[in-house]
Amino acid sequence: MRKFDLCLNSEGAEVILATSSDEKHPPENIIDGNPETFWTTTGMFPQEFIICFHRHVRIEKLVIQSYFVRTLRIEKSTSKEPTDFEQWIERDLTHTEGQLQNEEIIARDGQATYLRFIILSAFDHFASVHSVSAEGIAVSNFS
Amino acid sequence: MVKLAAKCILAGDSTVGKTALAQMFRTDGAHFQKNYTLTTGVDLVVKTVAIPDTEDSVEFFIFDSAGKELFSEMLDKLWVSPNVLCLVYDVTSEQSFNNCSKWLEKARAQASGTSLPGVLVGNKTDLAGRRAVESAQAQAWAQGQGLECFETSAKEMENYEAPFHCLARQFHQLYQETVEAFQALV
Ligand SMILES: Nc1nc2c(ncn2[C@@H]2O[C@H](COP(=O)(O)OP(=O)(O)O)[C@@H](O)[C@H]2O)c(=O)[nH]1
Ligand SMILES: [Mg+2]
Repeated sequence: MRKFDLCLNSEGAEVILATSSDEKHPPENIIDGNPETFWTTTGMFPQEFIICFHRHVRIEKLVIQSYFVRTLRIEKSTSKEPTDFEQWIERDLTHTEGQLQNEEIIARDGQATYLRFIILSAFDHFASVHSVSAEGIAVSNFS
Repeated sequence: MVKLAAKCILAGDSTVGKTALAQMFRTDGAHFQKNYTLTTGVDLVVKTVAIPDTEDSVEFFIFDSAGKELFSEMLDKLWVSPNVLCLVYDVTSEQSFNNCSKWLEKARAQASGTSLPGVLVGNKTDLAGRRAVESAQAQAWAQGQGLECFETSAKEMENYEAPFHCLARQFHQLYQETVEAFQALV
């Protein structure tokens, strides 16, 4: 089966919720495949966004490019609706002055239909997420 | 268009008028309660301020210690990760002004390394005959600390909005600078 980046607009992924939004830096920027565009948080933490794959996928590796993110929690769901999220991964990122944080996570138990990213805390008043990619395979479509 | 959210902490000695100012701001001057007791009062005031000449706004979440400033471990919890600071003294109380540096230090310690935009507010200007802190004295200290300086009377509804509008502008500017920095990363 073909492995590819599941977290792309062009592959059918969608950001269905984000707690912050600046019209100039919308959450779709996270999955447009371009690290130059980004989503910003606009205030107090925690802040979150949810990515919908519109199918069942199995994720093997996640790469998150961000700035000023301190503690990141990722939950996943295997339901058809964005419910029943379970805790999956939690990371404390390090601050990388002047360059993007590039967090690579080798995933275990990567079956998912939705991913929920929760930024619990940040190194500054605001944080940005430039891209999330999830390498893996599409398992099946919603019936 | 963006709506920012800012956690605002109110710092200063008891009875300087922190709660009165926050409630004035919340109700657009509709309420001045004469008899606050230390245990009453709302802990959280939520209010949105538009940024002039933009379509942007800042929603404040003002954390009023409602008398808990007497118990410092409670303040530590209430003050986690502040975005902006409103530091208040009473213009008739020199001690409340002198204590501002202590409050400022405590607030900045909670901001853990990030900048903390702030205003210094001298309240109770209606008690002109009892004034103990001169404007110039407060101005000089505030300037040295990088704080914008205001005088208000919550009782006479004088100028009570200005400090919050200033905080909104400062926070909005900080957002724009931060976004520019994000843009320059890649
Ligand atoms: N004369 C006068 N009294 C005020 C003013 N603001 C507050 N007070 C009074 O000062 C007392 C303490 O006010 P409060 O807001 O509870 O102070 P806090 O402890 O700092 O929150 C109350 O009796 C208020 O009515 C003001 O601008 N002028
Ligand atoms: Mg009070």
